[in-house]
Amino acid sequence: MNFDITSPMVALVLALLALLRAATPILYAALGGLLSELGGKINVALEGLMLVAAFTAVIATIFPPPGLPPALLPWWGCAAGLLAALLLAAVLAVLHLECDADLIVAGIALNLLAAGLTVFLLAELAGDKGSTARFATPALPSLRIADLSAWPLLDLLLNGEAGRGHHVLLLGAPVLALCGWLFLGHTRPGAWLRAVGENPEAARAAGIPLRRMHYLALLGSGLLAGLGGVYLSMGYLTLFQADMTAGRGFLALAAVFVGRRSLAGVCAAAVLFGAAGVFATRLGCLDLPPQVLAMLPPVITITALALSGWRRRCRRRSTDDS
Amino acid sequence: MMRIPPRTALLGCLAPPGARRTLAAVAVALLAGLALIACVSDEPLRAWLILITGPLPELRQGADGAWHWHRLVRFGTVLQDTVNLTLLALALLIPFRARQFSLGADGQLFLGALAGMVVGLSLPGPAWIVLPLAAAAAMLAGALWGGATGVLKARYGANEMVVSLMLNLVAIEIYRLAIMAWLRDPDAGFPATPFLPPTAMFDPLIAYTGVTLMLAAAPLAVLAVTVLLGRTTLGYEIRVAGAAPAFAAQAGVPVARAIVLSMALGGALAGLAGFHIGHAVLGRLPVDLAAGLGFEGLLVALLARHEPRAILGAAFFYAWLRAGGQAMERSTDVAREIALVLQALVIVLVMAERWPWQARTGRKATP
Repeated sequence: MNFDITSPMVALVLALLALLRAATPILYAALGGLLSELGGKINVALEGLMLVAAFTAVIATIFPPPGLPPALLPWWGCAAGLLAALLLAAVLAVLHLECDADLIVAGIALNLLAAGLTVFLLAELAGDKGSTARFATPALPSLRIADLSAWPLLDLLLNGEAGRGHHVLLLGAPVLALCGWLFLGHTRPGAWLRAVGENPEAARAAGIPLRRMHYLALLGSGLLAGLGGVYLSMGYLTLFQADMTAGRGFLALAAVFVGRRSLAGVCAAAVLFGAAGVFATRLGCLDLPPQVLAMLPPVITITALALSGWRRRCRRRSTDDS
Repeated sequence: MMRIPPRTALLGCLAPPGARRTLAAVAVALLAGLALIACVSDEPLRAWLILITGPLPELRQGADGAWHWHRLVRFGTVLQDTVNLTLLALALLIPFRARQFSLGADGQLFLGALAGMVVGLSLPGPAWIVLPLAAAAAMLAGALWGGATGVLKARYGANEMVVSLMLNLVAIEIYRLAIMAWLRDPDAGFPATPFLPPTAMFDPLIAYTGVTLMLAAAPLAVLAVTVLLGRTTLGYEIRVAGAAPAFAAQAGVPVARAIVLSMALGGALAGLAGFHIGHAVLGRLPVDLAAGLGFEGLLVALLARHEPRAILGAAFFYAWLRAGGQAMERSTDVAREIALVLQALVIVLVMAERWPWQARTGRKATP
């Protein structure tokens, strides 16, 4: 590297990169949560969906179909992970929409099913209850944006450490957020989805296909949470660990509530929660008990939830008075 | 549209349609378990049979001609897990009836165990003073932690599911910090508290197990929660706040108070489960006490369909599967997590209110 690692600007950019890496999985899942919440069918199984996607992606690369070119191996894993998440989301959708199961209870149950199933299959297929560290599994490729070596700081920001480029799913997250904005605000299905979430009866009366929109909300959230899970096991790390999502699916749910159902707010909240995790890790150099540091991210999440609820309540009170 | 709570289906024979469906779901899940085991095991049938019958104690004739019970320790594990799961399931059930999906039983259990242990270690005196005080401390700690979730929900509108899960993480770190920094036994080979003095512990009823007088706590807690929900004003307020919050608020029911109290009472029961683990099962608290028991309690509450009278049977069934899974892991090539998979599978099957091809009934329209 041709720049000074001790300079504050470089340290800032490096911290920013760590933040982006930590926020990406939460952001994907939070976009999924937002999609389901806007459709009026909040998906609380995000955690389980991420876990299943992360697990299936890695296991699929350990057992690839014969004759698969090595270059396609990561993409095969990615596709398998997304398919698994989609399947689990379909189970949730069918249970709720066709079998009248309570959506939240069903979501909680699927989280538990995913936790048990991944550990059980991990033990049986990989022969280890902890992780797939015994196997070398690939990551999805990284993309270099352009040759920016003339501006070292910009190069570091856009192409990552040592110019290796950024993980394709890390770059995909902001692109997807933009697509989400276009979809929700500027397409007919997006408007339909929001209408269904606002008032299903009115939407039905207006001729909007209610059931199709509900399926779209739940399956779409499954796909997005699946992307977050695949990033965890094929980018953030290149292995699967038992319970590797570590509550990120619930952080994403928190981001949906803190962001008050607006796309920008949800993205900001997801980045905030990513930052909280990075911040706690960085404080490790201080002489504090590790347990106190581990308390920080959940406390920050609770504070954000309480503050956002409190502000909403104040605003409602002031509109009631007027 | 108002949501009507799940109808009070019950495991026993009191509500045949729900019970029949639950039993059918259990049978289907057990068969699915056999299929799953067959995919991964060399001797699927033997593994499956151990899973189902492993915890059964055996009556065998000894060399002296007398009959003796064998494998009682394994059955004792089932009983002690039944107590834990019953208390944890009830802890989740009370807020569920107020339609509060608070999943904080794990954290409340850790803090309850910690508070009970502090009292048990620091207070000299006879058992009839120390044990009730330790239990009270454990319940108080759990109630405060559960009530915190309730206050954050009722006062600040913070989603109770996320808040309770985050508070779980905080509680477990508090527990670890307290043991590492203040309660650690310097003579122990691993980080743990010292052993409780014998006067601060329950005597086992079955040798080498954690089956103690606390066994009675499970049916008593079920009775208490049944009475609370069915026969008291607070129980009525909790149920109305869950079934029809807007109506409840209009009718003058203190909804916020009902929400907070439902979570605090649930927390007290989870704290009692922590007391059971510390003072009856382990006798000391290791720093790496396994988290996740609260989620097994959650599965029990879901299997019982939020009906307190069905909790005991559901808890016993899941404790049975748990012990069976451990026995299977020891003697075959199948991992014990299959028990968790089956437990969750039963829930997924039980949750379906109708089959997709059946016509939608007007259930939601009529109370």
